[in-house]
Amino acid sequence: MAELFLVADDLHKSFNDHKAVNGVTFTIARNEIFGLLGPNGAGKTTTIRMLSTVLDPDAGEVKISGFSTREHPNEARALIGVCPQELALYEDLSAFDNLMFFGRLVGMNSREAKAQTMSNLAMMGLETRAKDKVSKFSGGMKRRVNLGIALMGQPKLLFLDEPTVGIDPQSRNKIFETIQGLRQKGMTVLYTTHYMEEADRLCDRIAIMDGGKIVAMDTSRALKANIGDPDKTTLEDVFLKLTGRSLRD
Amino acid sequence: MKQLGNIWILAVKDLKRFIADRMALGFAILFPFLFVILFNFMLSGVGSEDKRLEINLATREPAGGISHDIIAALETRDESVLKPGAPKIIWLKDVQQARKDVEDRKLNGFVVFPENFTEAVLMGYGCDLEVVYNPSDPQATAALYGIAQSIASSIGTQQVVNNTVIGLLVEQELQKPGATGDLAQSIRNILSGQASAPPQTQMVSFTTDKIGEVEAENPSNYVIPGYLVMFVFLTAALSSGMMVRERQNRTLERMLTTSASRGAVIGGIFAGTAIKGLVQIAIFWTVGILAFKIDLGIAPAAVILISILMILMSSAFGVMLATLVKTEKSASSIGVLASLILAPLGGCWWPLFVTPRWMQFIARITPHAWANIGFNKLMVFGADFGAVVPEMLMLTAFAIAFGAVALLKFRTEAE
Repeated sequence: MAELFLVADDLHKSFNDHKAVNGVTFTIARNEIFGLLGPNGAGKTTTIRMLSTVLDPDAGEVKISGFSTREHPNEARALIGVCPQELALYEDLSAFDNLMFFGRLVGMNSREAKAQTMSNLAMMGLETRAKDKVSKFSGGMKRRVNLGIALMGQPKLLFLDEPTVGIDPQSRNKIFETIQGLRQKGMTVLYTTHYMEEADRLCDRIAIMDGGKIVAMDTSRALKANIGDPDKTTLEDVFLKLTGRSLRD
Repeated sequence: MKQLGNIWILAVKDLKRFIADRMALGFAILFPFLFVILFNFMLSGVGSEDKRLEINLATREPAGGISHDIIAALETRDESVLKPGAPKIIWLKDVQQARKDVEDRKLNGFVVFPENFTEAVLMGYGCDLEVVYNPSDPQATAALYGIAQSIASSIGTQQVVNNTVIGLLVEQELQKPGATGDLAQSIRNILSGQASAPPQTQMVSFTTDKIGEVEAENPSNYVIPGYLVMFVFLTAALSSGMMVRERQNRTLERMLTTSASRGAVIGGIFAGTAIKGLVQIAIFWTVGILAFKIDLGIAPAAVILISILMILMSSAFGVMLATLVKTEKSASSIGVLASLILAPLGGCWWPLFVTPRWMQFIARITPHAWANIGFNKLMVFGADFGAVVPEMLMLTAFAIAFGAVALLKFRTEAE
């Protein structure tokens, strides 16, 4: 059995009277790409915020490589990289300065941070625009900077919260290639998206959330097989069957 | 130690953003100097007016008395020829009206020659000069006493000299037998000698000792600190908008997934704002000293310390504002509004010492006023370090109050 790198055990989180996450349990094996799908408001982002130590769960526990995020947050943080769905970067600074800043914050010295900044920018195809302000970049380029920041410090576990939303196919393809390359280097990835074909293409296993709970979790093929012929059924069919067709906010 | 490093990294990042934003840089650094130059020019007269001392004289004697001659000789007819510091002598013709004016506080006071002045002087039995004054103006009262004494002394001295000379002559000539004709001739000679002597235009005169030059106050000494306080506060208040943006785009939250603690994030934001303030005061004081010849007074260390406390207070206010508002727009609006209300109220646009007492009292509800009062004490009135300790303590109290609210309400996530 593969080594479990992340364990989320019965996570609960409420905001006022709203239960955003209600008993979520799953594990991610080392070097696995795990997909977390769900409609808006399903609780994906709240789950990622708890996994990445930003939010304390009301109940339940998260362990990353054996380190409890409640008891050993610093050890857990040293292993993770987070790419939020928002462009969590400084548009008035250059791509280089953005990566350098977060590189220093994850604990690298100036020389290490500079070397890795240039390496990550090259990986994202942005080395020639390193000194340009991010505000001058296209949406796709900004997304790549956002991912480049998450990779500073060479994390062992990467949280990608809808990293390809609203970008051109070329940038999306570049991000795919990067994620696949990272997996080959041994990285573990938790990936959320609204694009079913992305999850189908990238993820080893997929969990579908709705109403703060995991309603299904398996490989893409197994999920499809549950509702019909896996060769003819799409992941979107599975998703709509499990989460319904009603519109969500 | 690690978290101190993170605070520094965060602060340097904010400084980079500040420098990268040329508009903000111009607004925080260059724009204030336009105000300084303008208000320096406008306020260049404030504090430079040396109001001339006015001394009022009157007499109860009928026309033709000696007192009329004395007052006429002393009266200032052309103020333009008076030397700096010389008093203006005014002849009050109506004693009753003058007395009423003193009672009504329209006049500070006056010296009155008595009705029998001429007779008393000629007969040598003496008389009193009357000084009528309003005790609420001790300076004018002292001047009136001075001139009364001066007149009395001069008249008395002249009388003694005349009596002595005549006495000596009489004694000398009477020792010569049958010399009454010579005595008469001697007296005649004295009198003719007095007549041929140059006329004494001023029987009673004043001498004024001018100690040091009376210089106009350099308006930069209060204009530059005032605008320094205003723009450091405004820049810090506007920084709150940047903090709200960081919260909304989740960069603050992203920092918490690194090695930075929550305390380091707050400290970094605070330090970043404070560093901008330090850059501002470094430039303000340097340009102020080199270009505007400002005088930091006898305790420049106190000026620097008040500047630093003012920066800390402003930075704490900026972080507090960011924690209390929800949107970047409201942060900017409230920041500008607060700055534009507190600046004039706190004496940034004009020195508080030229405002009425009630305004000075109200001003003390603002941190700006404490900073400005401290700067004015040190740079305009020559106070020492100890004199501005209350202002330092008040600025510290404001900084702690703002900082406490900021710490309690700080959050990294948008609502």
